[in-house]
Amino acid sequence: MNPIFLPLAVALSVSVSGLATPARAAAGHGYEFGAPGKPASATRNIEVNLADNYYEPDAISVKQGETVRFVLKNSGEFLHEFRIDTLAAHTEHRKEMAEMMEMGMLTPTGINPEKMNMDHSKMDMPSKAGEPMRHDDPNTVLLAPGESKELVWKFSRAVEIEFACNMPGHYESGMLGRIDFAK
Amino acid sequence: MHNFYIGFMGLAALFSLITGSSAFAGTYNLTIDEMRAGYDRGERLTMAINGQIPGPTLRFTEGEEVTINVTNKMDTDTSLHWHGILLPFTQDGVPGISFPGIKPGETFTYQFKIKQSGTYWYHSHSGLQEQDGVYGPLVITPAKREPFRYDRDYVVMLSDWTDEKPEAILGHLKKNSDYYNYAQRTVGTFFRDVSENGLAATVKDRADWGRMRMTPTDISDVSGYTFLINGKSAAQNWTGLFKPGERVRLRLINGSAMSYFDVRIPGLKMTVVQADGNNVQPVPVDELRIAVAETYDVIVQPEEEKPFTIFAESLDRTGYARATLATKAGMSGEIPALRPRPLLSMADMGVDMAGMGHGDHGAAHKEAVAAPAMDHGAMAGMDHGAMADEESMNMPDMQSGIAPKAAKKGGKVLVYGDLKAMKPYADYRAPDREIEMKLTGNMERYFWSIDGVKFSDAEPIRLKYGERVRFTFVNQTMMSHPMHLHGMWMQLDTGRKKFNPLKHVVNVPPGQTLSVDVPADAMGEWAFHCHLLYHMTTGMMRKVIVEGPVAANVGMRHE
Repeated sequence: MNPIFLPLAVALSVSVSGLATPARAAAGHGYEFGAPGKPASATRNIEVNLADNYYEPDAISVKQGETVRFVLKNSGEFLHEFRIDTLAAHTEHRKEMAEMMEMGMLTPTGINPEKMNMDHSKMDMPSKAGEPMRHDDPNTVLLAPGESKELVWKFSRAVEIEFACNMPGHYESGMLGRIDFAK
Repeated sequence: MHNFYIGFMGLAALFSLITGSSAFAGTYNLTIDEMRAGYDRGERLTMAINGQIPGPTLRFTEGEEVTINVTNKMDTDTSLHWHGILLPFTQDGVPGISFPGIKPGETFTYQFKIKQSGTYWYHSHSGLQEQDGVYGPLVITPAKREPFRYDRDYVVMLSDWTDEKPEAILGHLKKNSDYYNYAQRTVGTFFRDVSENGLAATVKDRADWGRMRMTPTDISDVSGYTFLINGKSAAQNWTGLFKPGERVRLRLINGSAMSYFDVRIPGLKMTVVQADGNNVQPVPVDELRIAVAETYDVIVQPEEEKPFTIFAESLDRTGYARATLATKAGMSGEIPALRPRPLLSMADMGVDMAGMGHGDHGAAHKEAVAAPAMDHGAMAGMDHGAMADEESMNMPDMQSGIAPKAAKKGGKVLVYGDLKAMKPYADYRAPDREIEMKLTGNMERYFWSIDGVKFSDAEPIRLKYGERVRFTFVNQTMMSHPMHLHGMWMQLDTGRKKFNPLKHVVNVPPGQTLSVDVPADAMGEWAFHCHLLYHMTTGMMRKVIVEGPVAANVGMRHE
């Protein structure tokens, strides 16, 4: 593909990071701002409550090189996501989430395991990379109503990132949080 | 009636003694007076609240005890009704139902406790004063955190201004109901349609409409309006400021007397977060149609440093309201062209032509088809054999002409099915009984009615406190009717059960049927009407009485 014809958001993330979403699969899931952390290396816990449709707290501060254990609880009535990513990658991911809702893999309140594990590459609407579409990125956790989960992440580089829920309409109406890198 | 008033007020006083007075209260003073006003084409004598059109934005807080002093400085009676607000019926402001109205020179003091939050409005319920300018926005801040977040908050109130006196409009309509239909089909459009659709289809189309004594351009009955946003014409360009990246909440209120709008902001998705003041599961759309008296709250996030046009085309496409979201005052974005006026199709009239040929039309359509005004007998006798099957599927009349379509290719238009309540309704259950309401009208003499009976000739509808009643609206006319119930929510049946959205106005499109469940949870006497002002005025209205258990009704009399 000629880079000139890439959508603006993707083009931006390519120039910033060199690792836009479509390129990630090939590169074996690289994230310019860090990587999944080992639970044993986590130096502190940050508790985040996922409500309908917002986070508490909605801003956190981390240090470069720090490994954080996010202790997540969905206290709402709807399915929510906790994903750490760049703004451009969140935007791309929102399209995938909308597709997953359309295909019935996700519903407003949960995951449909049967449809989620189907090989969607054989369907009319294959995912962007033509691969089976799954919701299993290591920077992302999906929580059904009432569920608690953890995500351990090592923040290696100070890049503009957010944690966000990309369920259709949730991010747009403000379900996101700022991640500041403390000096 | 008197006994009931006193009993009710006594009970309310006792209740407030028991619970103790609440934490906070606010007093608001409004004055209704005559004023000269106009847009683009000179001024006329009209009416306004506190000297402005729209009236001031009332900002209440959930839990607040409000006191509103309304002074009438005119030489005619007036009133203010708090649209969509849950309150004691004596404070609802409908002359002849909730109170006698406000006489010239008098001040009426409304007092009630705010039990809800969100975007609403208020307006006169006397005569045609709402069309004159007696309306304003009402915004209630919730006690708890909202399920969405925004950096800026703007009211965007749509309305239709007329250079004529509203009484003159009604006079014209009564003489000739097509007075404002500037788009009557002519011999010219006949030849255009022949070249587009073929001779047989065009002749048949004209014959069908002729038999029904209606015209397909009849989607609104008054035009010649100047459309306003927050009291500004398109030329005056109301502007809301933003910084790129900010989330902006727009509180869309349709305060028009007669006009529906198709609203979009080219270049921005609008995420709908509230409908009629109630939180809904957020749904991003490119466009929405707002019926008269509805409200929708949307959140937009403009990322670029440039002006964005809020573009609201009237449904009859006679004009538009326009405002701008801008990074600094004085900016102006591109104004899109008006799209063609939608034409009603036979499908909109509930006439399933293909189905009739095969004798399998659905039960929902059957009612509408059987409407006496539509001369069903004559249509059934039509020669359906002449319609080649292949061709009939491609006829323009097979699809709704009036259903909203996105301007943007592949764009998403909000439909009622998208509205899902944010919080499930705890007491959701099957209705105890159903009341069917046929929405009817006589265009020849311009009066509108329910079940063929106008308000002045109708008995009130009686509900028992605590029962759950399903109202099914069957629209047997060629116009959309925004049906509004005072004092209680209508739970619009979208098939989502406890997630059915709560509305104070539901739009019933031509020839269609839809149902709402009403929990009869507010004692007293309430208005229930079409919110098209001239439809309500000419009779498309009912009084609803919510009564207590039989024993408590002794001594409760109505004239």
